[in-house]
Amino acid sequence: MEVADLSYTSPKDFMTLGFGSLKNIVDLSFRPRHVNLLELGVEDLDYDREIKADIVDGKRLEKVGLHPILEDTPVFGIDTSSIELGETKDGILCAVRGSVVWRYDSGYQYTRYGPFIFHITETNKRVLYNKLRQAYFGSRDAVTAPSLWWMPGRIRNVLERWLQNLVCQSCRGSLLLWDGSLTAWTFDSPVSVLSETLHAARNRGNVVLAFSKKTRFYVADRRIADLIDDRETPCLLKIDDAIRLQYGSSLCFFGRVYAAKLAPGYFTFRLDVDREVPEEEGIRAVERLIGNDLVIESYPETLRLAHITTRFSASEVIGMQRYIAENYGMRIVGRPDVRQVLFGPYAGASSQGWEGERVYDAHL
Amino acid sequence: MMHIYKIDGNTLQVVCCSPEDIRKGDYLLINDVVAKRGLIAQVVNTGYANVPGILGDILREPSTSRVMGKDLDPLEMRPYVNMIKDAKSFTCKIRRGVIDETLDDDISWVPSRSISRVEKLPDEKLIKMVGVGQDHSISIGTTKRGAKVSIDIASIDGKLNIITGKKETGKSHLSKLLVLGLISRGGICVVFDVNGEYVNLGYTSDGEKGPFYDKIIVLSPGENFKVTLKYAGLNVLLSVMSSVLDLPTTSAWEFRRVWQYLLKSGMLSLRELGEAIRSVKNNYVQDALLRRYESLVATGFFTDYAEDAITLEDVLKKIKKGGVLVFNLQNLPPTFRRIIVEFLLNKFSQLLRRWVIRAIFLFAEEAHLYLRETYWDDVVTRMRHLGVFTTFVTNQPDSIREGVYRQADNIFLFNFTNENDLDIVSRATRVDVETVRVIACELPPHHCLMLGKAVKDFPLIVKVNPIDAKTMGQTRLFFTNL
Repeated sequence: MEVADLSYTSPKDFMTLGFGSLKNIVDLSFRPRHVNLLELGVEDLDYDREIKADIVDGKRLEKVGLHPILEDTPVFGIDTSSIELGETKDGILCAVRGSVVWRYDSGYQYTRYGPFIFHITETNKRVLYNKLRQAYFGSRDAVTAPSLWWMPGRIRNVLERWLQNLVCQSCRGSLLLWDGSLTAWTFDSPVSVLSETLHAARNRGNVVLAFSKKTRFYVADRRIADLIDDRETPCLLKIDDAIRLQYGSSLCFFGRVYAAKLAPGYFTFRLDVDREVPEEEGIRAVERLIGNDLVIESYPETLRLAHITTRFSASEVIGMQRYIAENYGMRIVGRPDVRQVLFGPYAGASSQGWEGERVYDAHL
Repeated sequence: MMHIYKIDGNTLQVVCCSPEDIRKGDYLLINDVVAKRGLIAQVVNTGYANVPGILGDILREPSTSRVMGKDLDPLEMRPYVNMIKDAKSFTCKIRRGVIDETLDDDISWVPSRSISRVEKLPDEKLIKMVGVGQDHSISIGTTKRGAKVSIDIASIDGKLNIITGKKETGKSHLSKLLVLGLISRGGICVVFDVNGEYVNLGYTSDGEKGPFYDKIIVLSPGENFKVTLKYAGLNVLLSVMSSVLDLPTTSAWEFRRVWQYLLKSGMLSLRELGEAIRSVKNNYVQDALLRRYESLVATGFFTDYAEDAITLEDVLKKIKKGGVLVFNLQNLPPTFRRIIVEFLLNKFSQLLRRWVIRAIFLFAEEAHLYLRETYWDDVVTRMRHLGVFTTFVTNQPDSIREGVYRQADNIFLFNFTNENDLDIVSRATRVDVETVRVIACELPPHHCLMLGKAVKDFPLIVKVNPIDAKTMGQTRLFFTNL
């Protein structure tokens, strides 16, 4: 089995645009993100849209039993992450990173891209975002950039799409595991980009399988996992029609949607298989996955490792903060936390670190 | 780069986030540039800084350690992350304040955490600043980083010292170094040598006569060291018989009467003393005295022949300009050993009281083997005022009473791994418990932690100098041909 070398290329625009944004910092005061002692990881919010699928009649759902195919097939997992490093007077500093993990010779290997650090301000966010879109999506139309706090996620998304495209173009006859779904709905997942990437994958005999942790399925208020007995695993539950009936008007589904329980256990995941791949071939791809990769709690190990290798650890966050302070002459300042000042010990965890609920400045 | 993390009492926590070669025992200077004063603190413990999330990183590590990979890291961030992961935390004890490079006793103030500069204080600079070993000093060794360490004679003159550590760590070696240092400065030393380790101190390691050959007098009781009864004197003999041989008071009175009769009639000799005791009418007293008399005679230490006997005064004359009297107690039965020590301590007290000698530096190896319980306090207090400046050398710290540790002016602490031993030593008032407990158990052989006046209460780890002298005792071995 020959595995493509993925380290031959790197997202150069991420480097140049990141460097550029850091060089243009005017006010050098920097309030680093607080890293909480109790946090084991410091991953920021997942920007994937959460879907709650309510299926009325579970009896109509078709179960597809799976039989592992041991035929040697390369498996690639792709994941990215973003994190806020701190605030400046003008905006925020964030970092993004991506990782590709593949199973090779009964072991795993990875190539990690980044971290790439950006200074995002109200002034540069539009230019930054559109340049990235132009470079990686080939998009010529300028779009409005999202709010500052959503920008790290958007930049991360561009990196993820670039990585997905890179792997689709580089591999043949492989199973490509993506984190999330094969759904396009906004600027960050343009229909054309997703469509072209999947097309490139198909042309090289690859099958894209996307695992989403965000979708929650309920059948008459019961978890869908309860409909699948451990003895029936591994199996798929076809929920494509039900989902499309519910969300088809607002979302574009590039994948055939299943509830996948690939191993005995508690969890069931949403699995999207490229819709343009014939259904039988798609199911065979899942059978090749369970025959080639380790699957624990219905989640493939390759994708799990991609997630682990891409996410930022607390010491990496502190290391990046130090890098910024040292290389860009930034002064670390402490700015009073409004919640802490007002509520003291009743401020809650959010005052000590990441605030889940964002409050945005009004720019008039 | 080092920063103050927190201060609690006289304990200072310093965080160091770029690799700096700081080890236990090193000194740091905390300089508050605004307050224009500083603190000198000693690193007593080292560890990793409590970096947030590091536990998560470590727990996650096994998941990825089996994954081989390549990092395309354009910003070359890895060294920064490693630096954070390797950040160190130093627990320090504040030893003294400093203003304009002059020591200051006020350590009640707190330096600014944000602007204070924390830097390593080189050993040479510390030694100079503290003023250790400037004039009339004895070279002891070097610090771990090579700075020469000497101690002022004044810091051991009139002082009580303890050299302790486990076996074969270099205690006797340091003791010999101090002896040679003292005699080279004209000091008079007395060594109670239980292992016969000092008897060849006059020879070089090649077996040639060394520079101190003439200043080292080895006296073996019963052989080249015998005394007459007259020289010993009634009080000394009574003290020996009462303390060592447990002579009852009534019998002691009878002995006194016999002694005075013989002295008055000019017949004081061992033979006549024996006869006089045999003629004592009370059988119980006679028996009690006779048994003690026979014990004294059996030692061979007392003689009736003046030509065989020597006096301490005569011997001391030979080392008037400095020297050492080594009393070889090796292979002596325990009672004999105690008789000799009792005799010597009484005799030296008399000589000091009469100002025959100014003072002596007494080196007592494993003193619990020959020093009776009641003598400890005497040695530490009364005899010290007379001019007996004792250095106890022991590998059994619990053999020395707690009161002695509290009175000690200097402690030379070698490696101990046993926590009970360290607990005992840490009762010394001149240092905090943590310094002793953490540093002493990691000392390599021939390295000691010097505590007390000799280092002006700035504990120093010192590698003891070698000596060009035959320092080893002669241990009898079975496999001599190996």
